[in-house]
Amino acid sequence: MVVGEAGRVVAASAQARLTGVDLGMPRRQAEMTAPGAKVLSRDVAEEWQRFEAVVAAIEEIVPKVEVVEPGLAFVPLAGAIRYYGGEETLIEILSSKLELHGPRLGVADGPFAASWAARESSAGSPNIVYDTKQFLADLDVAALTGESPDAEHLVATFRWLGVTTLGALAQLPREALASRFGASGLVMHRLAHGEDRMLDPRDIPVELAVEAVYEDPLENLDQAGFAARATAARLMNGLHGRGLAPHRVVIEMESARGEIRNRVWRSLDPFTENALADRIWWQLRAWLEAGQIQGGITRLKLDPSDTSGSGRQLAFFEDVGARLEAERALARAQALLEPNSVRQAVPKGGRMPDEQVVWYRWGEPPPPRDLEAPWPGRTPRPTPSLIPPRPHPLEIEWDEGHPVRIRLGSRWEPVINWSGPWRLVRKWWAGEQPVDRYQLVTSAGAFLCLVDGDGARLVGVYD
Amino acid sequence: MLEHSLLSSVLTDGSSSGQMFDRWDLSTRIQDPVQDLLRLQPGRPVELIGPLGFGLSRLGYRLLAEPSQQAPVVVLDVRGWVSPQAVWEAGVEQDRLVIVSCPDERVWPKVVAALCEGVKAIYAEVPTGVKDQDLRRLAALVRARQVGLGLRPLGGPLPSGIAHLRLRPIEVRWSGNDRGHGRLSKRTLVLEAEGRGVSGITRRIEVEDDGTDTVRVVSGLVTGSPRHAVG
Repeated sequence: MVVGEAGRVVAASAQARLTGVDLGMPRRQAEMTAPGAKVLSRDVAEEWQRFEAVVAAIEEIVPKVEVVEPGLAFVPLAGAIRYYGGEETLIEILSSKLELHGPRLGVADGPFAASWAARESSAGSPNIVYDTKQFLADLDVAALTGESPDAEHLVATFRWLGVTTLGALAQLPREALASRFGASGLVMHRLAHGEDRMLDPRDIPVELAVEAVYEDPLENLDQAGFAARATAARLMNGLHGRGLAPHRVVIEMESARGEIRNRVWRSLDPFTENALADRIWWQLRAWLEAGQIQGGITRLKLDPSDTSGSGRQLAFFEDVGARLEAERALARAQALLEPNSVRQAVPKGGRMPDEQVVWYRWGEPPPPRDLEAPWPGRTPRPTPSLIPPRPHPLEIEWDEGHPVRIRLGSRWEPVINWSGPWRLVRKWWAGEQPVDRYQLVTSAGAFLCLVDGDGARLVGVYD
Repeated sequence: MLEHSLLSSVLTDGSSSGQMFDRWDLSTRIQDPVQDLLRLQPGRPVELIGPLGFGLSRLGYRLLAEPSQQAPVVVLDVRGWVSPQAVWEAGVEQDRLVIVSCPDERVWPKVVAALCEGVKAIYAEVPTGVKDQDLRRLAALVRARQVGLGLRPLGGPLPSGIAHLRLRPIEVRWSGNDRGHGRLSKRTLVLEAEGRGVSGITRRIEVEDDGTDTVRVVSGLVTGSPRHAVG
């Protein structure tokens, strides 16, 4: 099974699934469910490189494939059906072309229905939906998860209201949904009705596209990586200035020998600069490593379409320009240091201050965490400003159970006042002994300490 | 969040330092220069110098609260001791806080310079061993890029010419606990401010910090005679 960066299963073999492993399951639970399964870490660039062969095969039959993520691509069929003489014939040709890869193919009106048709198909037997509305009507409302930022919450509410299928949702008055759930409700209703966005983007002004020409062809991956980031930054700057964000970007590249390659990338949420740069990088890497670019890259063009103002709802005071500049500066700092040196954190439950945050690498999605637990007995606020990565041994002098002096470096400081002890009972079943917490105030500052049978340790400084 | 209406301060000269004012009332009428001392200003580095335990880290985190309303802010962590939870409690927006760890004094100037090219507000611990020349170059970059920068040297004070304002703690008092009872709840910090940021006149200010996201300047008294500016 393959585990993603959030520590959850993103793919599993049929054998692992038979033992009860499910997608989205936390790694530890999956390992317990299938103890013999081999666990691999996800490598998106590698996935894309392998998927590139599939996309290239499709492009030999139908041009303008839109790639959403490695493993999922949309193909506009309208023109190809006329050319090949019908849906069945075209799908048959596609199936035989992709036979080696064991694809699951779905045909429907619009990407949403088509992706669900593909999910319900199996390798070798494509699922052609003739009545999209009827097909969608039988789907569970959970199918809408991921279609809008608050979709999960909406799906839970629909279920609570007794609306369990898309058919039931489609029967509700659209005005009522829009009034109760806003724009997201409207999107859900449209999708349930089969009124999906089409793979026929509207015309876009030419000047939005950006192009970079390289006198010295880019031949290695590092150069391609820098080019990807710089070109993505130029495109996004131009779009932000017009209040736009792209859902779809055509990446076009010309090699030193004059070959032109292009690929369409699509995203449900409007692309961010980082997300777009990643996709350009994956694409260039795939082309370079597959030997499809002879003599290096001499031109790179990004052509945005399906631009919209959605997905750019800013916080009240947010300054987009400042955020983009900061992102670039942080990327440079990350390059000077190592990626793990630039981090963010999110709060989580815990009794000690060091347990109450989860760190994650800047630029990556925050890990899921549970904030619902009450955590009785947690150390009271304020949180110490400084928390050593490991508790530091501390010498404390006691008089009849009261702290009198603590040693700070080479000198002893009298304890002016203190709070505690607050007993902390930890994992007794794992042999951990209970400890007492003290807040000690000296003329040199205040400290949070743990005291047990082995002595005292400094765990925080109220600096 | 720094609420100006909640900030109160008294700025008097030496002759009237004994007067008592209704500080809440004053806050609405007086344009208070003292409250600006605890605000990060573009291109004007603030140096927080003093031993561990006096509350300077929290003051440094607090400097980032207002800029974090608009854009990402950075805490540059040298020791690896910075607590994000404490930074959030000081009023910094959770999703706009980025913590950069850099214990190496040779790379530190490059990292700060890279950050100054795009980040609008930075609180940086300064490791021992950073060359004066590098610090001066950084100060020039900060002025050119109009970055808000709080510096917390972990060794001795920074050389002159770097900081626009230097804040040094004189006294810290905690309240809320009493021989085992209660818990730490409020810190009163007496600071000495010097440098160009206070026109070369050393000022003593008292800051109340009750652990929430509001830090109150409760008094700002002129002390001593004008001295040379720090920078």
